[in-house]
Amino acid sequence: MTTRVPDFNRLVRARLAPLRVDPAREADIVAELAQHVAEHHAELVASGVPDDTAVAMALAPLDDPERVAADIARADRPRVTAPEPPPPASSIAGDFVRDLRYAARLLMQAPGFAAVAIVTLALGIGANAAIFSVLNSVLLAPLPYADPARLVMIGERQVDGSAGNTDYTTFLDWRNRSRSFEEMALIRSWQPTLMVNGEPERVAAMRVSWNYFHLLGVAPRLGRDFRADEDNPDRSRVLIISDRLWRRRFGADPSTIGRVVMMNDLEYTIVGVMPARFEPLISEHFYKPADMWALVGYNTSLSYACRGCQHLKAIGRVKTPLETARADVDAVQTQLRREFSSAYPQATITLVPLAEELTGHIRPALLVLMGAVACVLIIACANVANLLLARMARREHDLALRTALGASRARLVRQLLAENALLAALGGTGGVLLAAIAVPLLTRLAPASMARLAGAHVDGRVVAFSFLVSLATALVFGLMPALRASRLELRDALHGEGRRTAHPPTSLARRLLVAADVALAVVLLIGAGLMIRSVERLMGVDPGFDPDHVLTMQISMVGQAYRKDETVVAKTDEMVERLRALPGVTAVAAAGQIPLGGNGDRWGFHVQGRVVTPEDPSVERYSVTPEYFSVMRIPLRSGRLFTDADRAGAEAVMLVGEQTARVLWPNADPIGQHVRIGAADSGPWRTIVGIVGDVRHRELAVPPTMQMYMPQAQLTDSFLTFVMRATGDPALLAGDARRAISSVARDVPVYEVAPLADLVARSVGPRRFVMLLLECFGAVALLLTAVGLYGVISYTVSERTREIGIRAALGASQGAIMRLVLGSGIVVVATGLAVGLLVAVGATRYLQGSLYGISPTDPVTLAAVVGLLFLVTLAAQGVPIVRAMRVDPAVALRQE
Amino acid sequence: MSHDRELRKGSAEVLILALLEERDRHGYEIAKLIDRRSDGALKFHVASLYPTLYRLERRGLIQGKWVERAGTRRRRFYRITAEGQKMLDSQRRSWNALFTALNRVARIRHA
Repeated sequence: MTTRVPDFNRLVRARLAPLRVDPAREADIVAELAQHVAEHHAELVASGVPDDTAVAMALAPLDDPERVAADIARADRPRVTAPEPPPPASSIAGDFVRDLRYAARLLMQAPGFAAVAIVTLALGIGANAAIFSVLNSVLLAPLPYADPARLVMIGERQVDGSAGNTDYTTFLDWRNRSRSFEEMALIRSWQPTLMVNGEPERVAAMRVSWNYFHLLGVAPRLGRDFRADEDNPDRSRVLIISDRLWRRRFGADPSTIGRVVMMNDLEYTIVGVMPARFEPLISEHFYKPADMWALVGYNTSLSYACRGCQHLKAIGRVKTPLETARADVDAVQTQLRREFSSAYPQATITLVPLAEELTGHIRPALLVLMGAVACVLIIACANVANLLLARMARREHDLALRTALGASRARLVRQLLAENALLAALGGTGGVLLAAIAVPLLTRLAPASMARLAGAHVDGRVVAFSFLVSLATALVFGLMPALRASRLELRDALHGEGRRTAHPPTSLARRLLVAADVALAVVLLIGAGLMIRSVERLMGVDPGFDPDHVLTMQISMVGQAYRKDETVVAKTDEMVERLRALPGVTAVAAAGQIPLGGNGDRWGFHVQGRVVTPEDPSVERYSVTPEYFSVMRIPLRSGRLFTDADRAGAEAVMLVGEQTARVLWPNADPIGQHVRIGAADSGPWRTIVGIVGDVRHRELAVPPTMQMYMPQAQLTDSFLTFVMRATGDPALLAGDARRAISSVARDVPVYEVAPLADLVARSVGPRRFVMLLLECFGAVALLLTAVGLYGVISYTVSERTREIGIRAALGASQGAIMRLVLGSGIVVVATGLAVGLLVAVGATRYLQGSLYGISPTDPVTLAAVVGLLFLVTLAAQGVPIVRAMRVDPAVALRQE
Repeated sequence: MSHDRELRKGSAEVLILALLEERDRHGYEIAKLIDRRSDGALKFHVASLYPTLYRLERRGLIQGKWVERAGTRRRRFYRITAEGQKMLDSQRRSWNALFTALNRVARIRHA
């Protein structure tokens, strides 16, 4: 034959242009098809068809290139059933690597599934990693001191279980008579005014006994530690400063050692600088991280070193078990009580581990949060398990094929576990990344009173924790699908039977998982709801004063220039005048302490004509200038307020709070009564001239205690808080107010300038923090639950399309079909709700400490959560229901 | 109609597997054999045959291999795999069951 054979390769390729597969595969396909066309052509030519016609006939089937290309491309898609190449040499590690690689391929083929599963896991693991970071740094990380487990606070047991204050003389007895301690030291807070280059600054500081740093096992990085011979009233003017202060005020100059600075007009010599890594945690408890330490410098001859002059805190390092040491000090105290019966109340001595003293109050909240994130994680696991089960149902066929090909069931389960491990690893990685982003936000959000929280960060321990959680997660969410795979009925799966039944066995498991989702979401949302209501109630509590439009500002007048009360009073009056003259200010007062200001001072209260007992009450004391009550809007209940006439030299007067009046004069009028405060046997008798409303002093959640007020002119404080009522935004006054103060006295530091409303908000801080986090976790839980429910319902609908079609064909109305689908969802939701409510009633007990003014079973919260979940779950079912109602019977029945 | 198409797709797979059960064959040969053995009732052309072959191959039921024998052109031969054999057996049972049922109900006979 002389006819030139046409280039079928070229012709076929031209027709298959729309085929988009990888070039090597395309070449293969083109070659094979060209081969076929060529043979067909040759046969046609051989049977006498003219060459041109034969070419056209052979190529005719390819005349619709788009459709042909699409058909081929669809058919040629890689299948998960593609048999694995047999392992050259089986080893467990090799198998695992192969399994992982195979799992990775599978995930890449199902990017939607992979993305949803990984994001879900990342959310669950991330929340856990973030809260664990906080828990880790606050509760688990040992205190940054030598052998911190042996450090304890020593003191009389307080109502809340903490160790109370002690005095110098008692402390010496404890130290000398007990045998269980390696060392004991004294500490107290101190806020001196430091003068550097003529600029005053109030510094957070501590007075400590000489062995304080030695007891903690830390030493200055520059200079030296305190010496025993310096710790007495004559020689105690030595200072150790923090690295931070050294850098900030002394330019990190090594010659700072030996430098003399003025503090409260006294000369102190700087002898040491602490290392930067030294965390002054103990001082945080008092005020804020200390930047300076000086010696307590007491001896027993000082009047304020007396037994009962409790203003010091004792810290010790035990050398015996805690219980032994506690019994030891308690025995010493019993002895002391016998020797000096009038000096001590009947309180037992307690030893509180330092770590607990510093972080004990945060522990319940953190544990609640940890429980909350555990719930989120379980929900995430349930959702992923659900996704896997749905995927399994679709993969049964190929799993069965692999079994048929000789894969053992153990091998299949291993393969599935490898897939789960890969998912968990990716989710875990995402989770750690999420945590790394979330933790800095958390620490910024956290109230300052949560000690050590600022130091939270994602470290090795957090990563290890997340790894373990991921592993556990993989087991939890992977177990059910893997078990299901191991029970797979080979023949059924191969035949494709059991795939169209209304309730395939996985269906029940999947519905149970979603019910669990709903239950846990209920628990979380109830927790969040209760916190929201608590914070709401707390913010609605009447503090006894009106915090709006009030600016607060602290000053201290200490040192030689302010030795005399008259000077302080005169300067205070002048400052009040200057401040009142500021535009936008309507009233100004100064007070020794203000409610929610983080300070407080309680004095003994002895009524004239009553027997003085050690049980005489102590009453919150405020020294205030006359306008204080109008600035704070504290109401007068009876009698009169202070006036400018209540000055030094005039009759000593005082006001009492309603609680004081009620408790101490239950059946009489306190006005006109005479009271001695502080020492029972010295000082003036003060006349009660009025009764005022109570204020919440310590925090909003704590009901008012007994309170009393003295005119600042008659009982003079030199640490003062100015309060100013403004017509507008009080924060805008800050600059003017500072300048007004320094125009009166240049050497007076101004600090802690803040609107009173901020102080109120700060008091709610820890609860608000817990509330915010619970809200977050509740929202995530709700979202995951909705996604899970949507998945299950829409899967059910697609599984039952045929059944729905038959029902529709038999005349079922759309309403009936909607009821059919909705009914199956509602059973799941209702089960979850019921279980969730039961669990919540048990679990919210742990939240009780954080709740305020609300019962853990608050019906409004419960109803709101049930309603919210119901709406959300209804919405989640909306799309699948609409899809079910639109099922065309003809199409449904025609499905294979 | 899609019904027809599904049926054809399913039957095409059985036909191909059955032909390959006898021995390895290449695409053109498969098309010719189906044509001949069905007396022209079933026809496969290049655009309908290969997608089916590729689908079967991707599912691991058959395996294709380029073979170059002396004197002939390079051709892709397909071989039935063990899974393919199992699938064929089970499909035969299913079709048998279907025809028996059709026979009983609709008097459709099959040989």
